[in-house]
Amino acid sequence: MELDTRVTGIKGKTEQRTQFWKRFKKQKTLHLFVGLGMIFLLVFAYTPMFGILMAFKQYSISTGIKGIFTSEWVGLKHFKEFFNDYQFGTIVRNTLALSLLKILFAFPAPILLAILLSEVKNLKFKRFVQTISYLPHFISWVVVAGIAFAFLSTDIGMVNKALLGLGIIDKPLDVLTNPNYFWGLATGSAVWKEMGWWTIIFLAAVAGINPSLYEAAQIDGAGRLARIRHITFPGMKGTIVVVLILTIGSILGGGLVGSNFEQAFLFGNSINNPTSEIVQTYAFKVGLRDGRFSYAAAIDLIQSIISVILIFSSNYIAKRTSGSSLF
Amino acid sequence: MKRNKGKKALLLSLILMMTIALMSACGNNNDGQKENAGVNNSAETTSEPPAKSNEVKELSLFIDASWYPVKEWKGTVAEKITEKTGIKLKVTVATDDKQLPLMIASGDLPDLVFTNANIDRMSDSKLSYPWNELIEKYAPDFKIDPTRIAIHTMDDGNFYTVRNSFATQEEVANNKYSVGSDGNPGIAVREDILKELGNPPIDTIDNFIKVLGMVKQKYPDMIPLIMDKDWIEQYFLQQFGVEGLLDGWYERDGKVDYAIRQPEMLEFFKFMNRLYREGYILAENFAYTNDQIDDQYATSGKAFAHSHTVSIADMDNIKVKNAGGSYTFQMLPSAISKSTKAVSSGLGFAGTFITKKNKDPEASIKFLEYLASDEGKKLTMFGVEGEHWTWNEEGYPNLKYDPSDADFVNSNGIKWWYLYNDGVMEGMLSYVPGAQKTKALMERKAFTVYKPELGLIQLQPDSDEKTIKTKIDEMIKNEKVKIYLAKSEEEAVANYETMVKNAEKIGLDRLVDWANQTYQKKKDLFNK
Repeated sequence: MELDTRVTGIKGKTEQRTQFWKRFKKQKTLHLFVGLGMIFLLVFAYTPMFGILMAFKQYSISTGIKGIFTSEWVGLKHFKEFFNDYQFGTIVRNTLALSLLKILFAFPAPILLAILLSEVKNLKFKRFVQTISYLPHFISWVVVAGIAFAFLSTDIGMVNKALLGLGIIDKPLDVLTNPNYFWGLATGSAVWKEMGWWTIIFLAAVAGINPSLYEAAQIDGAGRLARIRHITFPGMKGTIVVVLILTIGSILGGGLVGSNFEQAFLFGNSINNPTSEIVQTYAFKVGLRDGRFSYAAAIDLIQSIISVILIFSSNYIAKRTSGSSLF
Repeated sequence: MKRNKGKKALLLSLILMMTIALMSACGNNNDGQKENAGVNNSAETTSEPPAKSNEVKELSLFIDASWYPVKEWKGTVAEKITEKTGIKLKVTVATDDKQLPLMIASGDLPDLVFTNANIDRMSDSKLSYPWNELIEKYAPDFKIDPTRIAIHTMDDGNFYTVRNSFATQEEVANNKYSVGSDGNPGIAVREDILKELGNPPIDTIDNFIKVLGMVKQKYPDMIPLIMDKDWIEQYFLQQFGVEGLLDGWYERDGKVDYAIRQPEMLEFFKFMNRLYREGYILAENFAYTNDQIDDQYATSGKAFAHSHTVSIADMDNIKVKNAGGSYTFQMLPSAISKSTKAVSSGLGFAGTFITKKNKDPEASIKFLEYLASDEGKKLTMFGVEGEHWTWNEEGYPNLKYDPSDADFVNSNGIKWWYLYNDGVMEGMLSYVPGAQKTKALMERKAFTVYKPELGLIQLQPDSDEKTIKTKIDEMIKNEKVKIYLAKSEEEAVANYETMVKNAEKIGLDRLVDWANQTYQKKKDLFNK
């Protein structure tokens, strides 16, 4: 008896193994795709993580990569230094304000545009709007900053010249330099640049809604707004929730439209610094310009921890309230 | 079927979204790779075997200054140096101020590094060969005077470089034709407009403001004063008698303190604020990230005064003339106030390092030895003898070109290969009898006081004091603009006080204590 079970056990294991390989063979194309993704993550996301060690050490760049391991431990010194920085409050406030503003304005914008576009019956016009609204996505922020200068500069800016010429304003608007305008400038330009691009996804969601639902609703006497409210919107809900969770996970980087760093770096200057300095630009400056890698690593680590907390909690809330979630 | 269609659409949109996410991730990493690639390139140049054409050795050189006007080893001067030394350089000019720190961190250094901002960091036995060792071993005839050695000797007893553009007070006093370098502040004004205003005198700061006011009234479309982004403060700081720049030290009665706490500083800030409040300067001027914008204003006739360096009138005039303009600029006197003072605490500009990755330290130190010889110094600074200059028996070169003609100077590689040189030679390049620059520099020499011992207050990289100073300087950069652009004088004064308080909060007092200790230790170097 005993021997028998052992034999069958072995047999079962080999059988399982061959079955596993059989299945694997069948799915090899899919595995190849997954494997590539995993290698990508391993090389670019996981391997560099050993650098986090720096945040707890007194690392000097002249010691090279080896120095990350050999330098002296200093505990939470760099974290304390950041919390005690005279600009700490301002920097954190700017980061949060910019991120929240972007969620508030940049997240609903493509949903609205998608709904509006889906109601347009003239196909040519629809395609035209779609094309020009997603084209700005392909312009890099450096170029956008250059364009913004040509448009908004107080002295040579076209917008200021036009407004002055028309007598609408009597003093040029210092949009690029006044700290009061920076958040608006950043949010506005991000919406302009990325709205059309994200509309594509939401349009795809709308396209997936069964047209017979609309017909039925029409027969029941539902008007346009009622159809949008009761059919289009619920039909997009799944996509909206997934995108929202991803957005919240990257909220400190600017969420859906990203680019907090690029904007703060390119539009930021010493005049609008009180509202344009954010955690990422600050870490970049102290890290690369001053060569204080340890301090910069600590600052970025704090930000990453906040992001992880945000993505887990938003996922949990989404699961509880709407039933759909990322994981 | 239909349910399936909905699912398919959702799946499709998900796939699309994930591709986008992946693509954006790729985009980010591409940037990283690009940076790495840049560093790798320079590494490749180091490992490249030296070119053996006519026994000419090739060394790689990294210039840590993105604005550097010469980017390649070419032009008559470079060719002549190669002919004399058998060495040619493969030059890489920095794309920004972060490139050298990154190269240090990744260990990919070229044979030679020429830097100003990272002298402290490069003076490290892990990164560079000490010159004293190499001289002893390979170039025993390479003699450097004791002051220069003392200035550059680090705590470990070695010196790793010697900066160019440095001259002691005696050297300058003994060479009356050495008037100084281009790197000194100056303001040029439109001669024609000044004439139309009836040539009002500009001999005090108040008169200068008055003239700006007249310009604004008569030419409302003109900007009364445009400033180069790197030359905003210097000229005016001197007029108020401030003895150092915003991130420097000043000394009074044997005690050293940080420049922002000088009593004269507040007057300077009030003045700058007044310029802004009365509409003589643009707020945008403080946000320029490009040093060409001010030149465009000046040379396109949209600005009355142009703040830059002593050579700015000559430079603008050449540009205006080449563009077919008919107006000219003239320099303001170097001093327009009774309290004008310039303290030279400079130890020079930049120095060359022979890195530990250097494939031929012997050839490298001999190369520098040649540049440091009288012949080498004159060749780099003035050009090829006979072709570009002849020696005047009075003790200065008769130049056959205009040293303010940037195109000519740069294309021939004059001056910029000064990997080793000194302030006396460089000062003579500015001596062109009759040039506006020469006049401005000679005026300046009269009110310059030398305190090189202040320059010896140097911070060790990665030390706590260095961190404090960096943080204070960064804070000043942000806060000073709030003072300049304050809406009233009271607000400006309040912002000034906040700035000083912030500095104290960051640790200014600790930094000043340390500076005083260092100063007492090192000041005897010059008082032998």
